[in-house]
Amino acid sequence: MSDKLNQIIQKQQKQIEEPHKKEDDVVQLVGFIIGQEEYAVPILSIQEIIKPIEYTRVPSVPDYILGVFNLRGSVIPLIDLRRKFKMDSVKPTEDTRYIVMKGHDNTAGFVIDRLTEAIRIKGNRIGPPPETIHAEKGLVYGIGMREENILTILKVEALLKRDF
Amino acid sequence: MEDIQEILEDFLVEAFELIEQLDQNLVELESNPDDLELLNSIFRVAHTIKGSSSFLNFDVLTGLTHHMEDVLNKARHGELKLSHEVMDVVLESIDLMKSLLHAIRDNGNDTSVGIDITDICRRLDIISNGEEVSAPVTPAQMDPVETPMDEDNVDYSKLSDKEVEEEIERLLKMRKEEDRQRKSQAAVSTPASTNVASSVQEDKYEEEEPKVAAASVKRAAPESSTPAKKDASSSMEQTIRVEVKRLDHLMNLIGELVLGKNRLLKIYDDVEERYEGEKFLEELNQVVSSISLVTTDLQIAVMKTRMLPIAKVFNKFPRMVRDLSRELGKQIELEISGEETELDKSIVEEIGDPLVHIIRNSCDHGIEDIATRRAKGKPETGLIQLKAYNEGNNIVIEITDDGKGLDPDLLRSKAIEKGMITEREADGMSDKEAYALIFKPSLSTAKVVTNVSGRGVGMDVVKTNIEKLNGIIDVDSELGQGTVIRLKIPLTLAIIQALLVGAQEEYYAIPLASVLETVRIPLDEIYTIEGKNVLRLRDEVLSLVRLSDIFGVKQVYEGGEHTYVVVIGLAESKLGVVVDMLVGQEEIVIKSLGDYLQGIEGIAGATIRGDGRVTLIVDVAALMNLAKGINVDIRASAETVVKAKTVPSDYVVLVVDDSAMDRNIMKKSMEPIGVKTIEASNGQEALNMIKSSEHSIDAVLIDIEMPRMDGYTLAGEIRKYSKYKNLPLIAVTSRTSKSDRLRGVESGMSEYITKPYSPEYLESVVRKNIKL
Repeated sequence: MSDKLNQIIQKQQKQIEEPHKKEDDVVQLVGFIIGQEEYAVPILSIQEIIKPIEYTRVPSVPDYILGVFNLRGSVIPLIDLRRKFKMDSVKPTEDTRYIVMKGHDNTAGFVIDRLTEAIRIKGNRIGPPPETIHAEKGLVYGIGMREENILTILKVEALLKRDF
Repeated sequence: MEDIQEILEDFLVEAFELIEQLDQNLVELESNPDDLELLNSIFRVAHTIKGSSSFLNFDVLTGLTHHMEDVLNKARHGELKLSHEVMDVVLESIDLMKSLLHAIRDNGNDTSVGIDITDICRRLDIISNGEEVSAPVTPAQMDPVETPMDEDNVDYSKLSDKEVEEEIERLLKMRKEEDRQRKSQAAVSTPASTNVASSVQEDKYEEEEPKVAAASVKRAAPESSTPAKKDASSSMEQTIRVEVKRLDHLMNLIGELVLGKNRLLKIYDDVEERYEGEKFLEELNQVVSSISLVTTDLQIAVMKTRMLPIAKVFNKFPRMVRDLSRELGKQIELEISGEETELDKSIVEEIGDPLVHIIRNSCDHGIEDIATRRAKGKPETGLIQLKAYNEGNNIVIEITDDGKGLDPDLLRSKAIEKGMITEREADGMSDKEAYALIFKPSLSTAKVVTNVSGRGVGMDVVKTNIEKLNGIIDVDSELGQGTVIRLKIPLTLAIIQALLVGAQEEYYAIPLASVLETVRIPLDEIYTIEGKNVLRLRDEVLSLVRLSDIFGVKQVYEGGEHTYVVVIGLAESKLGVVVDMLVGQEEIVIKSLGDYLQGIEGIAGATIRGDGRVTLIVDVAALMNLAKGINVDIRASAETVVKAKTVPSDYVVLVVDDSAMDRNIMKKSMEPIGVKTIEASNGQEALNMIKSSEHSIDAVLIDIEMPRMDGYTLAGEIRKYSKYKNLPLIAVTSRTSKSDRLRGVESGMSEYITKPYSPEYLESVVRKNIKL
């Protein structure tokens, strides 16, 4: 019984992690804008999306870590994706959101400019990451081709990995 | 299978406890060899371990305990004199038992580590056979049930498997019989120590007390060895064993509750301000205070479940001191008091090592040898006192010896020799600071390195471990008279009292256990010596560092003539931390920053305050390290103005009014001054403009009645920012009653102009307030 369950879980995990290998599988993503570009992360890795709340600065960390905030009693780091991608940071607007992402052993909030939509994309529409993106190196999982634009799909585990 | 595992675990827990007890009793026995009661209880313990280990098929352990039992049995019957030499062998075999038990715990059996017991068994045999005394004299008062003579003469190593099994069977039966009988005599003997089934920890502690009352290990606690107490403890206190994990979880939940309580208190304060005099406030007050009371009690109750008596650690020292004194050829007496003092489990685990090092040091370097002591006119036997007691939210452990004391001059010269300090530094050092040098790694005043101490590592370990616990070390010594080392350690680690301080716009929490005092000083009392800021506090020179320099806090406002200094102490060092504000003392729950932000220097964790904001907790030890790298002249930097404004057009006045006409009138009135004006049409908008710090605003004109946020609320909100605590806020309103004015003052308005007003009047008020 548990073997069967494990198989199913593993299969699901594969679907999340390696969408382009399963040609016909549909991947569900949440799209958002940072700067000019549209990015996306798998919907299952998102814990919640909240409006900006107050945060506390933490000393002696890289500038893209804005600080920590209180998410219902948990202290969670807040990361500015604009600065992480070497863009100039901007003042929060009405559209600014924090996306709280959950990995294996880490949870963090990410500041994004605005949300776009929930996206369903076929696995075979996702290509490997281009070689040239420097600031996002290692963070990109793949490029999703859509009718009207392309999506940069981010690796959540890499985003949640401490790199300083 | 699981049953066996469970039995095994119970066996291990019990065996470790028993052995600890055995250790202690044996040391006592050595100085008091005629104490038959003591000897009997030792025998019973050895017997219990033998019984249960043979039940679980630990043959090596069984064999060892069996041989030991032989010796003890002979001693019990007066056939054998327990000399120091005999004791050495017995104690050694107990050490072997310990290693065997460790092996069992780690590997599940006692054979795979390959501990060889043949030699020790042989020596035990020699002892037990060596002295042949003709007729065994069984003392009359001995309990007949407890002398199972014949069963102890079987040598297991010679038996076949089958025979062993039979033997075990037989032993088990006997044991059961014994247990049964002994239970019926519970009031006379001490059942729990032999009863495998009732492995109840609590009872053990209580029992130990009455037993331990001998000459060498003097218990200062007077209540020991009272038979009445013995009776009480044998009536079996109801206890259960709980996994530590569950308690930890409970502690976390309580932590959440404490945060909730803090939040509730804060909200109540706000509500109280707003609805003063209303009837429901009274009820709310009652609920809030009862919840806060219960939460505090609950927290204490859960904390108590995690508490262990420090006896757990202290108990191993009599044995250690005994071994050391024999090894060093000194006579040392250890006096323990306050071992019933309780500490959080996690702290008890950490405190053992430092104490071992301190006591070893006292034995080796502190106490002189017999000849020297005699020459100095001191009693031949050196005395080490180990004392624990509560002091507020801390526990103090005091280690006193009457040895030769520390020589501050020798310490200074040693430190100079090793290049740790310069001669100038040494000259400026007080004796107390010189004593602190013993905690520096690789400084040892010992002339010879013995295998006990002298390598200069131990005290460094003490310092590191105590720092980890946020504790403070205090050393006091008098040359020729002795040394006192005082360790002050917080009772618990999860929920602590903290001092909240403000550095510019940021707040930090400093564990109160590390705060020695706070002082308010004028800036011109800060001096600079070799690029370091120092303060003369009474007769001490204290180095100073600004919290905002350590954490790179953005400088947004000037501090003024005075500043606050929080004097923090950790282990043996002290530092003055300059902060801009003292917020107060609060109970905080320590939360980790998670993996992502772990190990940031200077930050020990975070906590959530009553207002829901996150406040970082300062890591005092790291702070002291960081402070060394900072060279900012506090006085000079405090005097430089943030941004100089020279001409009137540099000044900015914010006009807040919902009527565009009113705003225009105000702007017109201020035209003659030549200042720049910006506008907001309601309180919320104005607050956002102020918060954004886009403009450096010098004064605000505020209408009272406005949509979204009125003038009073706006003023109150602005005043919450310490950088705006001196910003002129001028109310411009048609509300003229006295109570309105009063409310204006309460909310933080600096001036009150009533409509209608003459443009000249407004102009003069603004001029006055921005000093133009």
